[in-house]
Amino acid sequence: MNDVLVGRALAKRFGQTVALGGVDIAVRSGEAVAIMGPSGSGKSTLLHCLAGIMKPDGGEVHLLGQRIDTLGERKRSALRRSRFGFVFQFGQLLPELPAEENVALPLMLGGVPRAQAVRQAREWFAPLGLHSLEARRPGELSGGQAQRVAIARALVTRPAVVFADEPTGALDQQTGQETMRLLVEATKHNDASLIVVTHDPNVAAWCDRTVEVRDGRLLTREPGVYA
Amino acid sequence: MNLDLTWRLLKGGGRRGLLGTWLTLGAVAVATALLLFAVAANSAFQARAERGAWRNPVPAASGAVAVEASRYDFVRDRTITVVDLAALPGRTPEPPPGLPRFPAPGETWLSPALAELAEELPAGELAERYPGRKGVLGDEALVFPGELVAVVGHAPDSPAMTAQRTDDWVVAKPPVKVASLAGQPSEDAEAYQVLSLIASVLMVVPLLVFGGAAARLTVARRDQRLAALRLVGATPGQVVAMTVAEAVIVALAGALAGAVVFALAVPLLAGIEMQGGPWFAGDLFPSPLVLAAVLVAVPLLVGLSAVAGLRRVVVSPLGVAKRETPPGMRFVRVLALLAVLAAFPLLTRGTSVSIIAVALALAFLCINLAGPWVVGMIGRITAASARGPARLLAGRRLVDDPRAAWRTVSGVALTGFVAGFLGLLSPTGFGDEVTGPPQLRVTAPAGQVTEVAAQARERLRASGVQATVKPVKNVVVAALGSAADDATLDRARTALAELVPGRTPTTQRDDRRFGIQILADVRVGTIVVLSVSFLVAIASSGITATSSILDRRQTYGLLRLAGTPLEVLDRARRTETLVPLTVMGGGAILVGAFCAVPFMIGGMNVVGTVTLVACVVVGFAGVIGAGALSRPLLRSVTADPAPRPD
Repeated sequence: MNDVLVGRALAKRFGQTVALGGVDIAVRSGEAVAIMGPSGSGKSTLLHCLAGIMKPDGGEVHLLGQRIDTLGERKRSALRRSRFGFVFQFGQLLPELPAEENVALPLMLGGVPRAQAVRQAREWFAPLGLHSLEARRPGELSGGQAQRVAIARALVTRPAVVFADEPTGALDQQTGQETMRLLVEATKHNDASLIVVTHDPNVAAWCDRTVEVRDGRLLTREPGVYA
Repeated sequence: MNLDLTWRLLKGGGRRGLLGTWLTLGAVAVATALLLFAVAANSAFQARAERGAWRNPVPAASGAVAVEASRYDFVRDRTITVVDLAALPGRTPEPPPGLPRFPAPGETWLSPALAELAEELPAGELAERYPGRKGVLGDEALVFPGELVAVVGHAPDSPAMTAQRTDDWVVAKPPVKVASLAGQPSEDAEAYQVLSLIASVLMVVPLLVFGGAAARLTVARRDQRLAALRLVGATPGQVVAMTVAEAVIVALAGALAGAVVFALAVPLLAGIEMQGGPWFAGDLFPSPLVLAAVLVAVPLLVGLSAVAGLRRVVVSPLGVAKRETPPGMRFVRVLALLAVLAAFPLLTRGTSVSIIAVALALAFLCINLAGPWVVGMIGRITAASARGPARLLAGRRLVDDPRAAWRTVSGVALTGFVAGFLGLLSPTGFGDEVTGPPQLRVTAPAGQVTEVAAQARERLRASGVQATVKPVKNVVVAALGSAADDATLDRARTALAELVPGRTPTTQRDDRRFGIQILADVRVGTIVVLSVSFLVAIASSGITATSSILDRRQTYGLLRLAGTPLEVLDRARRTETLVPLTVMGGGAILVGAFCAVPFMIGGMNVVGTVTLVACVVVGFAGVIGAGALSRPLLRSVTADPAPRPD
């Protein structure tokens, strides 16, 4: 399998605090990687640097062989919209849009006509167990249902990598497990890689492998980064 | 304990919490200052009416002590009010305001501005009209600073106090026996009070809407914090008490700041000329009672508005966490507006001013009631027809919270109503310039026109004024020739002073002066009302745009993080405002024009049209500008790479 996303010697400081102190990481095509670590260890900063949300102070990020950390904000924005998908703990759905339009929104932002975007969005509902919830608004969905809509929205553009930041943090154990199952299966089914930031070992257990971050460094050396 | 916790929450609200607090404070300050202005305008006109009351004699039923008459004179294109007074034999009347004693026959007292002018100009142009000057009138005698007033003492049997004046060209008060010089406000002064009352109604309603918007500015933020408090066991009563306390603390500070802003603005406002002059600053200050009422009412209204916004939290601790499909607005809101519009011509048929003011206020409130329904409808149409994400977001947001969207555009919509109303009301017909050389005319007593003409000829010749004098029916006309300038005209006026006792020789322009003055005052009033309305509208839309960003910062942040361009978010915000603004602004102008039809004098005029067009342009530009000002805030809240709920 080829590396889809590679981070090399990633460094980031916030004032005097070292958030990342030279992290190397590589994610292969279709692979699900969990990033674990205690609060303040730098796992969210690592995700933000890999996803082009934040520019690292040092090091490089490559997506499918192309360097992305040197791109301008506009290009990184476009990249996040088209090549990446995101699932957060809460709050990512627009409360005033029905579920299907929430899912269709990334397609519309990419220029797909509304009717076609909504049609494509609807195709995701049945496989994710959201049948007949298309017209519901986020406030009318349970926490688990809302997270599944968020998964559909992350995958609808057929991204190369899906980033999930504590995707089950706001859910109970059982719903969290079910959501992780759907997230991992749907991502693999779409040949996308998955990077999950979590501090819950039960969530990490769904992934192919786990890397641990402590004080801005990986505890396990990543194989193949310098290959 | 509640107050202590509230104060801690207020202080520890963080940078954005503080921004919201400051914005609320600023908005309340602006609203209070403008509200004080609207209230002060009424008390100022009332003060003016009372100041001028002594010149408007009330016939004595019994116990007359003096004879009083008044007329107008003119110098250098300015009006002089001349009050003729005579004590009845054996009586010692109280002096009028601003005079140390009642003037004896032959004595003249001039206002400071008139005395100064009499010193400046050659005696033959002004001073000789008022011989026997004894002193200067105090401010109490004047309607406005710089007013030209002369008080002339006569014997009760002198011709000036016995001649009739009712057929004069310029409206004058004939001699009247009075028991005191208290007088009563003139009809003109009362008409101005009525107009100022209508203007106040037009200004106060948008201000109330604005106040509501300001109160809700941070309510979403409080929503979340107070919902958390409910979750840890605070009772609904405690939550309400804390909300009221927080809103009232901020609103009271805002109201006090607004009162200071108003006080600082008084010298500027006093310069707005009405009825021919500026204002005494003291007249513009509302009474302490009114001031206290405003300072109590504003925080109270803001507190009530905040409580209304928090009903959901009080009902359920999870109230704000759940966002459900909002219930549709009831069509009855629109029916209310239609009913008032249908009844409007009937309501205004009566001449009672209070009924007209109530009808206007009703129409205003109904527009405010129907507004959110129409905005919701516009949202549905916008969302259904949207092809791109920006319009879809805008449309859905309008449907989701039509009241919030209405708050953004209501200011301009209500101003549109004012503009539509006043646009049709500007009277025409007084503005025509008088052309040709000046002619002074004075009505002669019956049967004496030839003698008076001969005297006029003689007096003018003696003062070196070239003029052709001839009688026309019972009027003596002195044509001054095309070379006559202002100085010549004033010399001729001075020469002809007291030619006919109690009567002033006037030009055609003098005769139209009062009509021109009313027109000018209506225009100034219109501009003032529209300026206030626009200030409110633009501040309103700025405030709501800002609060909308603060309320939705987490969603905006996550959308940006997922790659949504800032332009799309900004375009959605703009569409969210512009679409309802276009529909509601246009609709309100039409409703305003419809309401003005019963009062219309003549047809639509150029000034009205220009005012309307200017309103539309300034309103749109202002609202877009105010929205654009909040863009840096949008950029700042979406720049946070990891938005978290507060």
